[in-house]
Amino acid sequence: DTVEDPIDEQEVFDLVRSISDPEHPLTLEQLNVLQFDHVEVDNDNNKVLIEFTPTIPHCSMATLIGLCIRVRLLRSLPDRFKVDIRVRKGTHQSEHAVNKQLNDKERVAAALENTHLLEVVNQCLSTAGLRG
Amino acid sequence: MVRLELIETLEGHRDRVWQASWHPSKAILATCSGDKTVRLWAPSTQTNFTKWHCVETLEGAHKRTIRSVAWSPTGNELATASFDATTGIWENDPRDNDWECVATLEGHENEIKSVSWSSTGALLATCSRDKSVWIWEVEADNDFECLSVLQEHTQDVKMVAWHPQLELLASASYDDTIKIWKEDEDDWYCADTLEGHESTVWAIDFNKKGDQIVSVSDDQTIRIWKMYKPNNSQGIPTHNGEATWRTICTLSGYHSRCIYSVSWSKVNGCIATVGGDNTIHIFEEDKEASKDEDSPIYKNIATITDAHGDYDINCVSWFPTESHGDLLSTVGDDNLVRIWKFVRDE
Repeated sequence: DTVEDPIDEQEVFDLVRSISDPEHPLTLEQLNVLQFDHVEVDNDNNKVLIEFTPTIPHCSMATLIGLCIRVRLLRSLPDRFKVDIRVRKGTHQSEHAVNKQLNDKERVAAALENTHLLEVVNQCLSTAGLRG
Repeated sequence: MVRLELIETLEGHRDRVWQASWHPSKAILATCSGDKTVRLWAPSTQTNFTKWHCVETLEGAHKRTIRSVAWSPTGNELATASFDATTGIWENDPRDNDWECVATLEGHENEIKSVSWSSTGALLATCSRDKSVWIWEVEADNDFECLSVLQEHTQDVKMVAWHPQLELLASASYDDTIKIWKEDEDDWYCADTLEGHESTVWAIDFNKKGDQIVSVSDDQTIRIWKMYKPNNSQGIPTHNGEATWRTICTLSGYHSRCIYSVSWSKVNGCIATVGGDNTIHIFEEDKEASKDEDSPIYKNIATITDAHGDYDINCVSWFPTESHGDLLSTVGDDNLVRIWKFVRDE
């Protein structure tokens, strides 16, 4: 008897667009790392897919950026959602390795127990509530 | 018809539950969690299984997530593997039935993912994100000596499992392979590498006899591997006098997300799998449809969707012996532990 609000692409995009880049004083939307068209939500099947585009093909921050997006959604979306985060095809030289790491929940859990890393993630997420 | 009846749902862990391990003979379940504790659960009496409760909480020894917990073959010791890069050895004091951490094994460079005792209890294996597998010898007075550091996996090692009778170890890795480890005059070496999965191999289990292994992966498939010894009658080639393992069955199209755990019942022969799609599947060999033992056909005989609601299921395990062979446990990201009864209606 709990009726959950359906969640759409706009709502998910609004949750992540204002995350700060780890290196630049700009949001992931301003850097075109995140784009509305690259968010897919299947509310009925509890699935979210976000593809992001690193600014350069050898961006060393790609995994950290993906982790920030994941943590933001972990904290904001209802638990029922299964989230996949991927580098947009053809935009990073280590695409497969980055994708595998970001979607290994055990490694994500271990990363979030690292105090230093968590601080960096929280710093990037401190602007996330601004929504555009 | 077969079905799984939910007997009990146990609350107590304050974070995701990663793994569960049955006592080798008694109806006691050990579970470990991101809350850095191990909990032991038992029925009110060893004959009435309708109500279970937490009988012990083991805490204070690990600074981070406890990823894996394993009983020694006697049930008097427990080993815990933690993201804090240590393995804890706990001993039961029968006088006050209290558990105490009596040894801490150090050496791995980072998170330990799994721990397992050999069938005799003489050896312990651990594996880590540091890509290595360590073999420890269990000595008197809670002393553990590292016999070997095995470094042939190229990535994070997710699980180690000993053969049910022999001193033969299997390990599963983020490098998509399974490796088989053997000893030759105190020297441990990789006797075979099992290739076929297309992504991380999360879990493995031997069958009762120990001549087959079932594995599950992020590639959403289940594979059954069979051991072929040198000069086998099927004509499967082997190298250097070592047995070779071949896939004899692949099950796909059942799980729609990563498969995290598998348990091959030593009592009824059924294979249980769980994963990120919140589902439990039970498989059984279809003896009538199977043409021969080198190409068995397995059928899905029971499915429970949303067995932990909307949450990932991280571990499934059958009770290891006849005494309670119909019991199955699952644990999930919902912090819950569930006990199920496998029922077959004739």
